[in-house]
Amino acid sequence: MILRGVDVVRRHEMPIESEDDVVLVRRKVKLIAQSLGFDAFASAAITTATSEITRNVWVHARRGHAVIEEVTDETGRRGVRIEFRDEGPGIDDLPRVLAGGYSTAHSMGLGVSGSRRLVDEFEIDSAPDRGTMVRMVKWTRF
Amino acid sequence: MARGTIPILRVGQNLLATVHVELRDAVAEAFQEDVLTELERRRAAGLVIDVSGLDVVDTYVARILSETGRMAKLMGTETVLVGIRPDVAATLIRMGYSMEGVLTALNVDDGIDTLAKLRDTLNLPGKLGAEKRK
Amino acid sequence: MNSRDHLGKLQIDDHELASRLAFYELDAGDLERLASLRPFAEGSTDEIVEAFYALLLRHPDTRKFFPDETTVRRVKKSQRDYFMGLFSGVIDRGYIEHRARVGQAHERIGMAPKWYLGAYRRYMALLLDRLVAHFPDPADAHAAFHSVQKLVYFDMALAIDTYVAANLEALKRHQAAIRELSTPVIRVHDRILLLPLVGTVDSMRAHQIMETVLMKVTEEQAKVLILDIAGVPVVDTKVADHLLKTTAAVRLVGAKSIITGISAQVARTIIQLGVDISAMDTQSRLSDGIELALSLVGKAITVKGA
Repeated sequence: MILRGVDVVRRHEMPIESEDDVVLVRRKVKLIAQSLGFDAFASAAITTATSEITRNVWVHARRGHAVIEEVTDETGRRGVRIEFRDEGPGIDDLPRVLAGGYSTAHSMGLGVSGSRRLVDEFEIDSAPDRGTMVRMVKWTRF
Repeated sequence: MARGTIPILRVGQNLLATVHVELRDAVAEAFQEDVLTELERRRAAGLVIDVSGLDVVDTYVARILSETGRMAKLMGTETVLVGIRPDVAATLIRMGYSMEGVLTALNVDDGIDTLAKLRDTLNLPGKLGAEKRK
Repeated sequence: MNSRDHLGKLQIDDHELASRLAFYELDAGDLERLASLRPFAEGSTDEIVEAFYALLLRHPDTRKFFPDETTVRRVKKSQRDYFMGLFSGVIDRGYIEHRARVGQAHERIGMAPKWYLGAYRRYMALLLDRLVAHFPDPADAHAAFHSVQKLVYFDMALAIDTYVAANLEALKRHQAAIRELSTPVIRVHDRILLLPLVGTVDSMRAHQIMETVLMKVTEEQAKVLILDIAGVPVVDTKVADHLLKTTAAVRLVGAKSIITGISAQVARTIIQLGVDISAMDTQSRLSDGIELALSLVGKAITVKGA
């Protein structure tokens, strides 16, 4: 499906239901990043951010999935967009976590606030009754 | 099962651990156990953890490594992390995770040098010097 | 770069294609008319291509693109294919890919749009004359000409799109090269690197400096990195933060950083701003930094003979 603004070139959906999946999702993202021409640093950034969030899903929700999309925008810039969803316990104080308030106290928080700094676009929706949705985009440098 | 996955060798007065695989939960815990068991068996002046084989270090792995260093220190052993790759280093710093409190060096040789210099600075004799540390 | 990459960059998806065809008012009727003109085209192609190149070879500014007979023969053949392509009666992805390649080829030889736009004009003029000669009824000649004109303009747009895209690629490569040059890391001695920072350090530059520095430190297995900031005009909390991050990253890969070139003004600013740089080793003078670096690798500068 072609969307105005951001076009999806390719889409991959992967389950997060085991610790092995955490590694598989991460490796897939790294492969895609490299194929899009991300340099080592950009690739490490998106791969690590992916690892953080995927691990959160596994550790806290035990079950979820990741949708990895290769995207382009109007200027022809290429990027990778990843959406994580789970129906886990959610984060109860999202604003504080995003402000980086949690460090060792809330293990999900560190991964979230850290990941945010590694990507270009970051969206999170999480609450105790709603599970968690995280979406992030990283673009190639040009 | 996961015990022994990360090889830990004696090199002179030091231990050298080479992390060549993913530090997943089971492997990470086993690694820490292996280190502590070895330190209990025979004291080591220093522990060099070579992570040059890791292309991704997220906060979980970073925490495991820091913890291992702190555990070793409690047992009288100084730890040096070596071989952190440029992209791994940049990513950790950008996440806000600077791993202060863990010594670092470029490679195993430099790591061993660093430990030796540290011992000299603290005037440690080759044996039990834990009392001399603050 | 193959043409499929170009298409990807051009973003000519089905939606875009439909939009362009609509705007150029190119419809099935036009394509049918053009297809029906194939025999006419086959009969005229040699004449038209010869006349087309007569112009290009006559003009001093365009002659240089066709330095020898082999080249001329080759492009004439391509031109014949191009010309016949106008009468294929089909506009599909294959057609677009082929036309997109035209722009790419021109960019590669350095032929600017002004020249091939002028060449297209020549095409149209040659075609008009021949169409008028071919059709006894002027109305038919008009209709045929309009159809061809729509398609030629459509083609020109594609060629310009790819020319611009190819230009942009070249620009990006140049920018990357400039970024490289703006972070000159110097090896002052065995395992000691020096980076003299000159100019403002914004977050984008800081990002790139960290990466270059980390790569160089590991490549050279440097034990010490000297960062001289005498050439940085403003050192505020942001710049100090960039420096802190860079030195923290250098520490992680296993090397030590020394910041030199700290003027009285900068020292005052940093302390007054409350920036904590206690974790960094700093010196006012570069020479002191170099001596400190040498001592860290177990060396020293001594006076000869004394």
